[in-house]
Amino acid sequence: MSPVLAITAGALFAAGTYLIMQRLLTRIVIGLGLIGHGANLLLLGSGGPPGAAPFTDQAGQAMSDPLPQALVLTAIVITFGTTAFLMALAYRSHALTLSDAVEDDQEDRRISEANRRSAA
Amino acid sequence: MNVRQSLLAETGSRTVVPTIFIVSLFLLVVGHDAPGGGFVGGLLAGAALLVVFLSGGRNEVRTLLPLHPRSLVGLGMAVSITVASLGLVFGSSFLDAGKITLDLWLVGEISAGSSLLFDVGVYLVVVGLVATVLMELGRPEESAS
Amino acid sequence: MNVSLLTILSAYLAAAILIGVAPTRFRRSTIATAAAVMVGTLVWVLDQAGSVVNGDVHIETLRWIPSLSVAFELRIDALAITFISLISGVGLGIVAFSGAYMRTKPRFNRFLSLIVMFAGAMIGLSATDNVFGLFVFWELTTITSYLLVGFDDEKAGSRSAALQAVLTTGLGGLALLGGLVLLAQAAGTASLAGIVASPPTGIVATVGLSLALVGAFTKSAQAPFHFWLPGAMAAPTPASAYLHSATMVKAGILLLLRLAPGFNTASIWTPVVVSVGLATMVIGAWRALRQTDLKLLLAYGTVSQLGFMTALVGFGSPAMLHAALAVLISHALFKSALFLTVGAIDSTAGTRDIRKLSGVGLQHPLLALTGALAAASMAGIAPLLGFVTKEAAFAALIDAQKWAPLAIIAASSAATAAYSLKFWWGAFATKPQSPEHAGGDPAPLRTIRTLIAAPLILASAGVVLGLAPGIVDRLVYAFAPGAKLVLWPGWKAALAVSATVVVLGVIMHIKRESIDRAQQRFVGGRLSRISADEAYQWTIVALNRVADRITGVVQHGSLPLYLAVILTAVIAAPMVAFGFAGGVPTLPTGPFSLPEAGMALLVVAPALAALRVSSRMVAVLLLGAVGYAMAGIFVLYGAPDLALTLLLVETVVIAIFAFVLSRLPRHFEIMVWRIRSAVRAAVAVGVGGFVAAAALLASGQRNPGPSPSAAYRDLAPAAGGKNIVNVILTDFRALDTLGEITVIATAAIGVAALISGFRTPVEEAE
Repeated sequence: MSPVLAITAGALFAAGTYLIMQRLLTRIVIGLGLIGHGANLLLLGSGGPPGAAPFTDQAGQAMSDPLPQALVLTAIVITFGTTAFLMALAYRSHALTLSDAVEDDQEDRRISEANRRSAA
Repeated sequence: MNVRQSLLAETGSRTVVPTIFIVSLFLLVVGHDAPGGGFVGGLLAGAALLVVFLSGGRNEVRTLLPLHPRSLVGLGMAVSITVASLGLVFGSSFLDAGKITLDLWLVGEISAGSSLLFDVGVYLVVVGLVATVLMELGRPEESAS
Repeated sequence: MNVSLLTILSAYLAAAILIGVAPTRFRRSTIATAAAVMVGTLVWVLDQAGSVVNGDVHIETLRWIPSLSVAFELRIDALAITFISLISGVGLGIVAFSGAYMRTKPRFNRFLSLIVMFAGAMIGLSATDNVFGLFVFWELTTITSYLLVGFDDEKAGSRSAALQAVLTTGLGGLALLGGLVLLAQAAGTASLAGIVASPPTGIVATVGLSLALVGAFTKSAQAPFHFWLPGAMAAPTPASAYLHSATMVKAGILLLLRLAPGFNTASIWTPVVVSVGLATMVIGAWRALRQTDLKLLLAYGTVSQLGFMTALVGFGSPAMLHAALAVLISHALFKSALFLTVGAIDSTAGTRDIRKLSGVGLQHPLLALTGALAAASMAGIAPLLGFVTKEAAFAALIDAQKWAPLAIIAASSAATAAYSLKFWWGAFATKPQSPEHAGGDPAPLRTIRTLIAAPLILASAGVVLGLAPGIVDRLVYAFAPGAKLVLWPGWKAALAVSATVVVLGVIMHIKRESIDRAQQRFVGGRLSRISADEAYQWTIVALNRVADRITGVVQHGSLPLYLAVILTAVIAAPMVAFGFAGGVPTLPTGPFSLPEAGMALLVVAPALAALRVSSRMVAVLLLGAVGYAMAGIFVLYGAPDLALTLLLVETVVIAIFAFVLSRLPRHFEIMVWRIRSAVRAAVAVGVGGFVAAAALLASGQRNPGPSPSAAYRDLAPAAGGKNIVNVILTDFRALDTLGEITVIATAAIGVAALISGFRTPVEEAE
């Protein structure tokens, strides 16, 4: 894998990670999108050096590996489906709470506070 | 979006949309031999629906679709699963490809194998997803809450 | 007739499902169905028994997960046949009794369905040879018994009793699984018969055996796990009669009987099993004497008798195993009859409290006779089966010269005789101090008659088999050769013991008031503070408290924080591995291409810009820009399909974002963060750096062996396509694509459900 590709993927992962450690669903979805792109680059890079498009009638030329491409194609479409779902979630969340923020886990908060009370 | 859209957008979409649809079907059919396939074709058809939505709104999209979006998804799944299972009955194993070669006018010789039918299912599911998103997320503001 | 046991097991499953879904009005048909399955099993047993008692073993195999040697291997031997005949024979009585006892109750079909399901699981358990199959059936009995004990689920008492039973036996089940896995590993076979044939030794085998013993002890209510059984009396009486006399609690004994031939020489076997058994026998008998509720009296009596059997199995010699199985058979018969008798008393007198019952015997002499036959068998009075089998046990103990255990068992048996008398006296006698019998509407006479039938037949079986013990003997002898079971053993020491026990029991009953006072004094003392039931309660409370504490400390509720912790762990764990591996592998140096670097810059720049922008729409457009640049990289790498797909996806995604963002505030709200952005940045940089480094290192270790891609490349023309990527998606790996479009379909359903699903029909109509 070319170092450029690896570093680009790393940068996408870093940016995505930074975004998903937040509360606003919009940012989280963007972060997941960036991580998805990074993962796709890794898959693409795993196929080795670039070559001609993988069609059987282009025999003779060095062909790029078709299998990672099939995996990436699948990943792109799945990311698309998940993004659509998450945006529907943000939409719903806003309709209910007027915000797309991911709240704290209420059950965890409750237990944590109950402990604090019993300790006090 | 009941507000009447601009005439330019409307006539534009009238001519552009069928073209995009035909191209999407073309991509679906030739996908086995050239760039294309069910995913790309489905997404392009979805893009066509997007154009329709932007120029004519939800109702326009609904009237254009032969089926309810969720039926499209269901039909697509049914087609793909059926094709996959046919291999069990007629072929040696699950997802065993069968093949018929057709010579279509203008398109040329295509091999309408079970792979193509399988891709038709994929196409329908993807179109169904885009259509669902448009119909649901594209609801007018006032009834959204 | 050549019906396999697997067919019979499927019949149980099918019947349970049919009965479970049948509408309430088909009660007669469901009873007939359940009875038919049990009768069928009995006929099958008769057909098989002929060859099995001669020592034949029928084996049936149904492979399930061959790579893990998980299979349904059924091994139909004398022990299995004994159990299957008890399960189906007693089961038939239970079904008949339930029909009369609780047919009018709501959810009767559910009850019957559970009984049939349970019976099927028990049959599977008794015949399975594969240790994993054994565990599956074992747990199946645990789950069905949980549902049966908690059948009256609107009562809090039922629910907590069921929970207690399932937690205790479930915990034992886990111990059993661990033990069986260890034993199977040590022996190199998953076959129970194989393990027993060449028993493994060593520390692993000992640990495995100990765990398996824990499983057996919990299931068979051995001390200190005996507390769940009396609690489980919350079950409807027919279920108690089935589970806690003939079947479920015997599963542990069954396991012990199966293991004993191989492990009776293991160092822990005899000391542990015998002492646990004897302790349980004493505790059970002691407690049984103190009960005033007839059902609880029987429950503690069961605990005591199970301890008796366990102790016998603990000695492990063929004669002892022979006696243990014989005791098990007689116990199943008389105890189920007694439980059903209590059920009949309960429904005619409206109570099962000894202090309130009076005169039932005079009203229902036939019921009193049933109770007398069964109780006499429990007490060990000739000529009943209980006498014959207990006599065999005494004889075996005397032959082996186990004097101390014999004394303990004899004393407990005297107590057994005493509580048997107390049972009959308490249930049927006309007592002067309580002339009026307690409230409740007496059931109509006709119902009583149908109620008596099942217990009477079960109790009579004890008489017939006692008079002609040869039938039981042949079956038991095929399992373990011991002295012949006979009604009249001749003037021997064992007979003297039996007689002494009965006489002592009668004396104890006559002197019951002074014994009661003595027990009171003892109970007032320190020893009684140690109660297994309380220990259980304390454990449960403590467990919950500890779980709460840990949750409170570890999980504050902030999801971003959880994510940060998880991601840090993801980076840190492989780092440790790298550290151990030592040495730095050489990094690959790929060719540097200017277009690639340019596209990479176009990818990274908008991604970084998206971190800081405050406008939602701008952030989304930047994500789109990343996507378009990615498409450029795909083109460079010879992937036109990907580029085309990604361009379309990005376009549609931006449109979706636009729809949703039109509802959301234009700018990101300023949030109060739990984690400072410096920490987030550090984690993010760590993850990014780790990914880049891992990618480089991994591609440096590339194995130049053949990849599936080459095969796909060569096969694509044969599959009739020139676009290899598409051929992979729709042909070679089409099953994966099928999975993928399932995800897409699910996402579509999710979107529709999230938006439309919450609408009221009125809104939908407009």
